Amino acid sequence: MLSLAELQSKFSDVSLGADGEVLSGVIIGDGFAPEQRLQIHRNNTTILLTEALGATFHIVKELVGEEFFTQVARSFVRTQPPTSPCLFEYGQGFPSFLQSLPALSAMAYIADVAELEWQWNSALNAAEAQPLVAEDLAVLPAEELAEHSLRPHPSTRFVTSTYPIQQIWDMHQDGADPDQGVDLDDGGDALLIVRPHADVAIHSLPPNAFVFASRLADGATIGEAFGALDGIETPENLSVYFAELIAAGMFEKIQ
Amino acid sequence: MDQQAQTAQRSTSSIPARAGIGLKAQHYKDILEHQPDIGWLEVHSENYMADGGPALRWLEAMRERFPISLHGVGMSLGSAGPLDPHHLNRLIDLKSRIEPGAVSEHLSWSIANGAYLNDLIALPYTEESLFVFSDHVLEMQDALKRSVLIENPSSYLRYEHSVIPEPEFLLEVVKRTECNVLLDVNNVYVSAQNHGFDAHDYIDQIPADKVLEYHMAGHSETVIGGRSIRVDDHGAPVCDAVWDLYDYTIGKLGVKPTLIEWDSNIPDLDVLVSEAHKADAILARHLIKEDAHAFVG
Repeated sequence: MLSLAELQSKFSDVSLGADGEVLSGVIIGDGFAPEQRLQIHRNNTTILLTEALGATFHIVKELVGEEFFTQVARSFVRTQPPTSPCLFEYGQGFPSFLQSLPALSAMAYIADVAELEWQWNSALNAAEAQPLVAEDLAVLPAEELAEHSLRPHPSTRFVTSTYPIQQIWDMHQDGADPDQGVDLDDGGDALLIVRPHADVAIHSLPPNAFVFASRLADGATIGEAFGALDGIETPENLSVYFAELIAAGMFEKIQ
Repeated sequence: MDQQAQTAQRSTSSIPARAGIGLKAQHYKDILEHQPDIGWLEVHSENYMADGGPALRWLEAMRERFPISLHGVGMSLGSAGPLDPHHLNRLIDLKSRIEPGAVSEHLSWSIANGAYLNDLIALPYTEESLFVFSDHVLEMQDALKRSVLIENPSSYLRYEHSVIPEPEFLLEVVKRTECNVLLDVNNVYVSAQNHGFDAHDYIDQIPADKVLEYHMAGHSETVIGGRSIRVDDHGAPVCDAVWDLYDYTIGKLGVKPTLIEWDSNIPDLDVLVSEAHKADAILARHLIKEDAHAFVG
């Protein structure tokens, strides 16, 4: 007799695509081939997890079409099934899985859009926190400011791409103009994604603002983050960037 | 508003003996705007385990108005391996946040080899399974510091080495762990049809005082090789045969909180509410009978 652990291990393989033969002699047929009964479970796992991926990566699904998406998602589900029952956090490996597919090599932007969808989803489910406002920083003497670092808001995420992924994103939102096209040669994006309150926002940042923001998020002091930039920026530009990041709600606390 | 005032305003946590509905994201706005006449709401706990975000915000808003039941689909109490401590902690956090009127899980398993299969798979009913499952129920109850309800599954297969009839297995778990039963009437029907046993006979074996909640849902029928099998997909109205079995069940086991579940092909809120009112009408009819008996007796 199979132990429970052995049975479940084999059953799991079957649910993830293996031949039902590995459970022969274990499942009662009772009018069906045991494989037919197991197929119901294989469908439950594959179809429902594919749907979960389709909900998180709905733009990718629209871009590649339902049929192709279903095929790709099924193969992802079977090779990288979820490790947690919380399906809102399933799919972290999906963007790099897409990137590895030869069939998508001519559409490299798909993986970047997937990464944007993943980070957006991750920001959506991040912890709540009151974002820092400009007045919170005003209390610090100006000469001390450079010495401080700023803890990023828990929902702060970054995505970069050599493609205009924000335009692609916008095109797939409700109410977008269906006739509007995207020129893939339109240049890349450096995006800050953050959910300071109820809604997630995507901010496109100029290159130096992006470097500044990501250094700060990594724990650099304000002085260090300024120092990391190309020398071409004027202090005026920098204070504009800084004000914009604060207004976006990307900081939680002065440290 | 201070903490005390907030607590005072919050709806009571206990689940009333009337119909509730499964809360779906599609209906959040509608429910808060129209405040339909439903007794309570049930959610899949796993959908509300994020650190933050809109799902939790909605649930907290719902909790102000309705008692909430947390119905888990991912603890995998029937897995041979240990319970996931991280998942257990997340459930403890959610419980503290929501103060649910009930916490329930399934008599099934979903995790093996570290993979969550997103499926509620029947156990072989053996001494080993009984030991593993009861142990996990005890661990869950200890962690939550409360008794949980265990739901009978829908099943599509049975195992050659299963030796204990399902109701007997379930009641032995109840005896060993002092948990209670969430009797899913549709699941009894689906399994009875799939395995050729008498659904009424199953219901007759369940003691009334251990059942704290009923589930009702629609299912589908698939034909494989010329033979039909019923699949519990929660994607249709409750069928007449299951309403009849529900009526029978209340007659036997009494008036209890009843959930209308609908998880795929989700219709407008009105459709769920009208299913709930149908259940309410049956419950009310039995309540009058129970009162009459009490009066006479």
